[in-house]
Amino acid sequence: MKTPIACLLATTTLIAAHVAIAADNLPWDAKVIKSHVDQQQLNGVLTRNELDALISSGEHLFTARFKKQDGVGRPMSTQAIIPTKRKRPARHEFSRTAGLDANACVSCHNQPLIGGAGDFSVNVFVSEGFQNTDFDNTDPQFSNERNTNHLMGAGLIELLAREMTADLHALRSNALKTARQQQQPHTIELISKGVNFGQLHAQPDGSIDLADVDGIDHDLIIRPFSQKGVITSLRQFTVNALNHHHGMLATERYGSRWTGTTDFDEDGYNDEIQSGDVSALVAWQATLAAPGRLQIENENWQIAAKNGENQFEAIGCASCHRPSLPLKSVKFSDPGPYDFAGTRRSNEDDHNAIYDLALTAWLQKLPRNENGDVLVPLYGDLKRHKIADQEVALLGNELLSQRFVERDVFITSELWGIASTDPYGHRGDLSTLHEVISAHGGDARESRDLYLALDDNERESIIAFLSTLVIEPQTAVTDKF
Amino acid sequence: MTGQFSNSNCRTITLASSLAYSLAFSLLLPAVTYSEESTAYPGDIPLFAETAESAGINHRYEGPWEYFVGGGVAAFDCNGDYKPDLFFAGGENTASLYVNHSATAGELTFVKKEDYVIAPQTAVTGAYPLDIDNDGHMDLAILRVGKNRLLRGNGDCTFDHAYGPFKLDTNSSWTTAFSARFDPSKPHPDLVFGNYVDRVAPGSPWGTCDDHDLYQPTDNEQQLYADPLKLSPGHCALSLLFTDWNRSGRPSLRVTNDRQYHRGGEEQLWHFDAGAQPRLYTKREGWQKVVIWGMGIAAADLNADGFPEYALTSMGDTKLQQLELDTFEENGWPQYSDIAYENGATAHRPYTGTDLKPSTGWHAEFDDVNNDGLLDLFIAKGNVEQMPDFASNDPDNLLLGKHGGGFHEAGLESGIALPTRGRGGAVVDLNLDGALDLVVVNRSSNVSVFRNHGALYKNRTRKPGNWLQIKLHQHGINRNAIGAKLSVKSGNTTRIRTLQVGGGHASGESGFVHVGLGVAERASIRVQWPDGQWSAAYRAFANNFLIIERNATDPKYWYPEDSQ
Repeated sequence: MKTPIACLLATTTLIAAHVAIAADNLPWDAKVIKSHVDQQQLNGVLTRNELDALISSGEHLFTARFKKQDGVGRPMSTQAIIPTKRKRPARHEFSRTAGLDANACVSCHNQPLIGGAGDFSVNVFVSEGFQNTDFDNTDPQFSNERNTNHLMGAGLIELLAREMTADLHALRSNALKTARQQQQPHTIELISKGVNFGQLHAQPDGSIDLADVDGIDHDLIIRPFSQKGVITSLRQFTVNALNHHHGMLATERYGSRWTGTTDFDEDGYNDEIQSGDVSALVAWQATLAAPGRLQIENENWQIAAKNGENQFEAIGCASCHRPSLPLKSVKFSDPGPYDFAGTRRSNEDDHNAIYDLALTAWLQKLPRNENGDVLVPLYGDLKRHKIADQEVALLGNELLSQRFVERDVFITSELWGIASTDPYGHRGDLSTLHEVISAHGGDARESRDLYLALDDNERESIIAFLSTLVIEPQTAVTDKF
Repeated sequence: MTGQFSNSNCRTITLASSLAYSLAFSLLLPAVTYSEESTAYPGDIPLFAETAESAGINHRYEGPWEYFVGGGVAAFDCNGDYKPDLFFAGGENTASLYVNHSATAGELTFVKKEDYVIAPQTAVTGAYPLDIDNDGHMDLAILRVGKNRLLRGNGDCTFDHAYGPFKLDTNSSWTTAFSARFDPSKPHPDLVFGNYVDRVAPGSPWGTCDDHDLYQPTDNEQQLYADPLKLSPGHCALSLLFTDWNRSGRPSLRVTNDRQYHRGGEEQLWHFDAGAQPRLYTKREGWQKVVIWGMGIAAADLNADGFPEYALTSMGDTKLQQLELDTFEENGWPQYSDIAYENGATAHRPYTGTDLKPSTGWHAEFDDVNNDGLLDLFIAKGNVEQMPDFASNDPDNLLLGKHGGGFHEAGLESGIALPTRGRGGAVVDLNLDGALDLVVVNRSSNVSVFRNHGALYKNRTRKPGNWLQIKLHQHGINRNAIGAKLSVKSGNTTRIRTLQVGGGHASGESGFVHVGLGVAERASIRVQWPDGQWSAAYRAFANNFLIIERNATDPKYWYPEDSQ
């Protein structure tokens, strides 16, 4: 009796093993997303261990080359940020123009480390994806060509934008209250963290006149991401990019709630990217270390850099490329307060998480002011400016406006990390700092002219200064804590 | 009582018993049955809570036979604070005006205004707001069993009684419908009062439908309207609507008629051509005979092709009419197909309860109550009085538009399935939170005011999709741009709204025009003003109120008091 039972057990085990392998999880399966990150496990302020685990998942997703069985591809939908169907399947699933244009996030964001920038070869072609969805050329009438930005310090950038938006909304609210109470128009300066966004004229009937608002959208929400400054949050950026570059559709925008189907792109895979996956990617990006300053040993360089920093200030570069902006809170809530439907919002479900950036080692190195605010050394102002004019037009070389922003208007590039992220310009077609400074027109024309009027040594000192703004290799993602 | 959660086939959640819910809203919410079957609809189901009494509204529409029909509400801003105030017809009760004091995005609060006009408004069946004398204040066209009236608004929720320039030379009719249009060549709007049964005609009520009264403005500012022109034959109309059905720029008059009393009658469409007397579209012009118990008209361009679709409420099936484009392009005919069945919009019998008799539909209105970017259809329902062959427990319908077409009935899940007898109604954002609320005038019971709490999610609600609310303004006559079309484009999707006065069931609205945007965070808006001129494209960010002044470079953003 024993032998037959043993045989039976062994056979059963073999069958079970066979069934298990056949059903799922083949050892050689190239699928990247073995299991989705569970959003339900993410609540409140994450502990260091919880955050570490989430960041690891995020790094896995950021570096993974997505596969067909993960949901790569969008044969019947476009790269548009609003779910948009194609009229017919794409001729080529991968295309450097309309996408899919990358296998992984890190395919482009890799210079000098994961999460960094990209060179000219990984430029992206930005088209809203509502028309000409099957274009197969790089004629600028169909898209704008953009260089890949780095993401280092992105969590701090978003937090600054949130605090500034809150400031501006409070100013608007108070202005309206005053206008209503006094029954006469009331004008205020829209200033947050020292950055002036023009004037707002509140009317006694509760309306506002926005004619003199400058460098920000009319809803007074600072959208700090992309070269154009049109993306509100890392979460929105992530959902956009996953669709555009990989055809990995996030349920929070392309799922059944908003499209009526779990497979909007009709590639045979449902709910490809779930809320927890996006959160992991957001947490990973939000905790990327802020770029730093190169510790220079060469004495001549030290002197030149110091002089250059002063010149940078003196000729007005720092009026837009502000050396730092103060940040009150380093607690990064995900989702954030200013996203719209289609990007997961607070109260959307019961699992809002907070990533405390103070848990990271790199944040401790940042200076604080007398109020305890972190001084974020971004060299930017989170404001949009006109950057080309009649004589100096190179940076106004796009043919399409984007999301209501004119083609020659861009958000101030944050200069932190600039020495590690050449080439320059929003198209990545300028190989030196001198070239990109010389290309500044429009609102930056005066400073650019002053720069060109400096003598060779003074100009070179500014380059020496900018060359200290690096993404430090030691701030690799594996060294967060 | 505890909430009941059953297995996956059908689970019942008595939300009123949920502690979390009570804490969340601090008010009584309806018992809501949530079935797994409903998950076949993956979109947002808005959760409504009936709050009339707590909002301070106590008003009943009632009375004898003449008030079996009618029961309208006018939702409009009577004091310039941009909040919709509510004027309710009362039948044999006095009509009431409730001024909106709701906090932005907060609890609904209304205060009854006792002295809004010098004389009590009795025998009122319905009301429509419009600015007749172009003074910037909303006036009211009052439909009555008796002489109809125009009340001139003073801008402070008081009205001049119907005298002086606003006096109408009117017979004592039984008026149940109204529509108005602005003819660009005239200083004031054309007004049509639609009459029901002529009660003094021999043989009344059967086959004794009254004619309608068309008031055309004069150039005499001391007497805005002369004697009415009769639109004959009337077939016992219960709703009228000036509508530009053929994109001609000149609206025609659509009439839905009650077969209960007409003999040989049918649905009607009147030409209103420049310089000509109104005349009916005929069979030779492609008009097809349709005979229904027509109660209400809702119009909306569901597929944004420029040609509106029409929902016609009735006893039994609701009709959803779509212009047959091939025939129209070949002959210019107003020939329509009924697409209600394939779109799940017949709403022909109660969707809950055991009463399987046919429904009785009244007010109908298209709008986007869950801000998913798709138009929904609200229908007020209720037995005429005690008609034994029709459902006696006949809840209002909430037909949610579906991606891919058609509608999903969500009346039960959304909390509006009450055993009332609905008549007129309004779909309007009462607390300016971007989510549309519902108002229903019920026969012989208090009105229903359903506050929209947002999208149902587990045992609470959450924010629905994005939205815009847009108000148009131009100088001179027709300040509120009645007849204008709004084209709101996000991505490849264009959403069309037309500003009109009329339709529904004895009920009208004015104020911000609401557009749900789904996941779009921006939109480009173009306005085709009533004279046909197109505006430039205005750029707007979602979740805002906009005021668009004609010829302005940009829209003005407007913020409710105490909002951020």
